[in-house]
Amino acid sequence: MTPSERKVLVVPCSGIGKTYGTVSREAAYEVTEDLRPGTTGLVALSLLVLGDEDARAAVRAHPAVTIDGCKLACAAKMVHESGGHVAQGIAVLDVYRRNRELKPQGIAELNEGGILLAHAVAEEITAVVDDVLAGEEGSTHA
Amino acid sequence: MPELPGRKVGIVACSGEELAEGTVTRLAALRVLQELRPGETVTICLPLFLAGGEGDRAFARFYPTIAIDGCDKRCAASATEQYSGKPAASVVVADLVSEHGLGRPEGARRLSESGRQAVEVTADRVADLVDELLGGQWNRRSGAFVEGAPATMTDQAPQAGCACGSAIPVQTVDVDGQAVSLAALPLIFEQFHGAGKAPGADVTRELLETVKIYNDVPAGIDEAYTVALAREYAAFCRQKGA
Repeated sequence: MTPSERKVLVVPCSGIGKTYGTVSREAAYEVTEDLRPGTTGLVALSLLVLGDEDARAAVRAHPAVTIDGCKLACAAKMVHESGGHVAQGIAVLDVYRRNRELKPQGIAELNEGGILLAHAVAEEITAVVDDVLAGEEGSTHA
Repeated sequence: MPELPGRKVGIVACSGEELAEGTVTRLAALRVLQELRPGETVTICLPLFLAGGEGDRAFARFYPTIAIDGCDKRCAASATEQYSGKPAASVVVADLVSEHGLGRPEGARRLSESGRQAVEVTADRVADLVDELLGGQWNRRSGAFVEGAPATMTDQAPQAGCACGSAIPVQTVDVDGQAVSLAALPLIFEQFHGAGKAPGADVTRELLETVKIYNDVPAGIDEAYTVALAREYAAFCRQKGA
């Protein structure tokens, strides 16, 4: 990924011990691998925690959508601390509140409700990605 | 009544989402936490060392910690050492894969067969390390083992532990003019107060012994700690009574 590429970064939290963390990661994979593979990129939070220069440069060069599994909002905070711009911070719990029928369970492996909730999160991210890229395109075609 | 955290081993996985090896670290950690050593391990999300509070950053000093990394960038080991405490042990999935002659793991989202094998060997190695670490006595102040000292175990009901959002409470107290952070002190005070123990010389001595379970109190300065604990506990009880 080069700074000049028009991309939106997707940064899931590294939630390891709770279901919502798994949902955040699954949603990130769905966006970056299935829904918008050409216009999005995944950034691992561990690299930002370590202060990896390539990862920091990437979040400074591209807008990011963060996905957090709990209120501690590690993904959003780390992007901010790395000097990046959070175009939209998505909280999995908020998406669940809007989709109560999708009750997620499982950590290593999600149940069907979890997979469907991840899909709902992914759809919201995709809408943000499209908006951000449309905005950027508009600003370059004055 | 609040429960004081018992003796456990901490596990911090890099969880690197962009690499299959990162997925291996996460699944191996979960296998240890949930299946292999559920009563003896606890985890925390790596970013909490920065995004969390002082209690989160106390993690690797409070628990002897095993860092599990996917690659030789060693994000988990390095960040843990930088922000919390030096890990007591460290494993790198790529090294274990090579050591066991496994194929390179593939599929960050859905692991390949070689990835699943890597989860098994990584989890087994970490479980062995947990057993080794529980055999030594951990100094929670210095974040290192006490040489030659036997383990001190506590009885705990087995359950998998995620420490996110339940950071180790730390309170800073003035001990003879020096600010000293004492792990678990708020919980200890809560527990004593809940048991109806009023401030007094006997209770202060008991407090000091309890504090020593979770913190390294240097030899020869018990009196200074006693004064500090008596003062802080009296203030705590006054506040509770107010």
